[in-house]
Amino acid sequence: MMALLVFKEKLKQFYAKFNIYLVALVKFAVGYLTFYLINSNIGFMERFKNPLIPVVMGLLASFLPSGTTAFLAGCFMIAHVFGVSMEVALIILVFMLLVIVLYYGFRPGDGYLLLLVPMAFFFRIPYVVPLLVGLSGSLVSIIPVSCGICIYYIIMYMKQNAGVLTGGTMAEAAERFMQIVRNIFGNELMWVMIAAFAAAILIVYLIRNLSVDFSWSIAIIAGVTIELAVIFIGDYNYNLPVSVQPMVVGVIVSVILALIYQFFVFAVDYSRTEYLQYEDDDYYYYVKAVPKIAVSAPDVKVHRIYSRKTAVRHEKNNGS
Amino acid sequence: MLNEEKIRLMTGLAMFEKRAEKDVFPVNRYFKGDYVSGHMIRAFLSYTFSCVVCLGLWLLYSIEEILNTLDIEKLLQMAKDIGFYYVLGLLVYLAITWIVYARRYAAAAKGMKIYQAKLHRLAKKYENQSGQKESEGGKHQ
Repeated sequence: MMALLVFKEKLKQFYAKFNIYLVALVKFAVGYLTFYLINSNIGFMERFKNPLIPVVMGLLASFLPSGTTAFLAGCFMIAHVFGVSMEVALIILVFMLLVIVLYYGFRPGDGYLLLLVPMAFFFRIPYVVPLLVGLSGSLVSIIPVSCGICIYYIIMYMKQNAGVLTGGTMAEAAERFMQIVRNIFGNELMWVMIAAFAAAILIVYLIRNLSVDFSWSIAIIAGVTIELAVIFIGDYNYNLPVSVQPMVVGVIVSVILALIYQFFVFAVDYSRTEYLQYEDDDYYYYVKAVPKIAVSAPDVKVHRIYSRKTAVRHEKNNGS
Repeated sequence: MLNEEKIRLMTGLAMFEKRAEKDVFPVNRYFKGDYVSGHMIRAFLSYTFSCVVCLGLWLLYSIEEILNTLDIEKLLQMAKDIGFYYVLGLLVYLAITWIVYARRYAAAAKGMKIYQAKLHRLAKKYENQSGQKESEGGKHQ
C-alpha cells in the first residue's frame, strides 16, 4: 500500500511538471480513437476513410475544447452515414441539433462524455461510465451519458444494416424512413441500458455523498449491482440479446477501474476519523473530519563516493 | 523588496479573473431580472426551434398515415394535442432555465463580492506602502 501511495505521489509530481503536454496527449488520444472508431465501424465514404484523417483530427482535438471535438465527430459521422442512407443522416442531424440547442445551450462543460460513452462501449467496459460519472460528476450528466448510449446504438444499427439501407425509390424511402425510426428508437436494449446507467449514476451519486465510512467503495458496489439488476430485469421482460460472459468480464474490469480512480482521487484514512462538535451564534456543528492519506515521495539524492584508489590517482595527477 | 503577501493576493486575483472570465464578469454586467429573462428568451427560441425540427421529422414519419386519413376534425385534434404538449414542454424548459440562470447569477454575485474584497485589500496594501515611502522620504529630508 505504501509503495502504491509513493507511486501516486510521484505520478502527481510528474503530472504537475508536464500537465500541459499530458492534457494535450490525452485529448489527442481521445480525438484519434473517436475518429478511428467511426472510420472502422461506419466508414462508408471512401473519401473520408483515409487513415491520416484520425491523426489530423486527433491533433486538432488536442487543443480544441471537448465539446467542439464531439461536434466535429458528429459531423464526420453524418458525412459517413450520408453515403449510405440520407434518412439516418437526417435522424442523426436532428438528434445532434436537439442535444446542442437544448442541453449544451446551458454550457455544462461535459461534452467529453458524448465521446467517452460510445468509446467505452466499443472497448466493452461501458459499466465503468456511470460509476465514474456518479463519483465525480453531477446528476445532470445523466443527459450526455444517455445521448452517448443513443449514439453508440445508432452506430451499431448502421454497421449491421448498411446493406439494407442503400438505394431504392422515393416510395421505398418513405417506408424505409419509418422502418429506421422504429428500429432505432424501438431498440429495447438501448432503453434498458439508458435506464440502467441513469439508475447507477443516481445511486452512486447519492451514496458517495453520504457521511458513512467507505462511502465511495459502497457506492461503486451498489452502482454495479443496480446496473446489473436493471439489465437483468430488462432481459427478463424483453428477452434482450445480452451475453453473460462478456458482461461479467466488463463489470469486473469496470469495478477495478473505478477502484483505481477512487485510489487516486479519494484516498482517506477512516481509522483516524475525528468527530468534532462546536457552536457559534447561529448553529451547532457536528463535524466528521476524515484525514487524507498523504505520503511524500522520497527525494533521492545520489552522492558519488570515490574509491581510495581513484582518489590517490587524482592526487598523483595533481602532484605531477 | 518583494512583498510576499501582496504577491499572494495578486496571484489569487489573477487566478479568479482567469476563471471568472466566462462565468462571472459577463453576468455582472446585468441586473438579475435582465440576465435571467434574456436567457429565458433564448431558451424559448431554442425550444421552439427544436420543436419545429421534431415536428418536421414526425411529419416525415407519419405523412402517409396523415394523407390516408385526411379528416379535418382529426387533424384539428392532432394540432390541439401538439400545441398542448408544446406549451407544457415549454413551461418545463423555461422553469429549468430560470432555476439554472438564477443560481448562476447568485453564484457569480457571490464570487464578485469576494473579488471586490480582495481588490480592496490590495488597494489598502498599496496605500500603506505609499504612506510608508512618503514618511521615509520626509525623514531623509
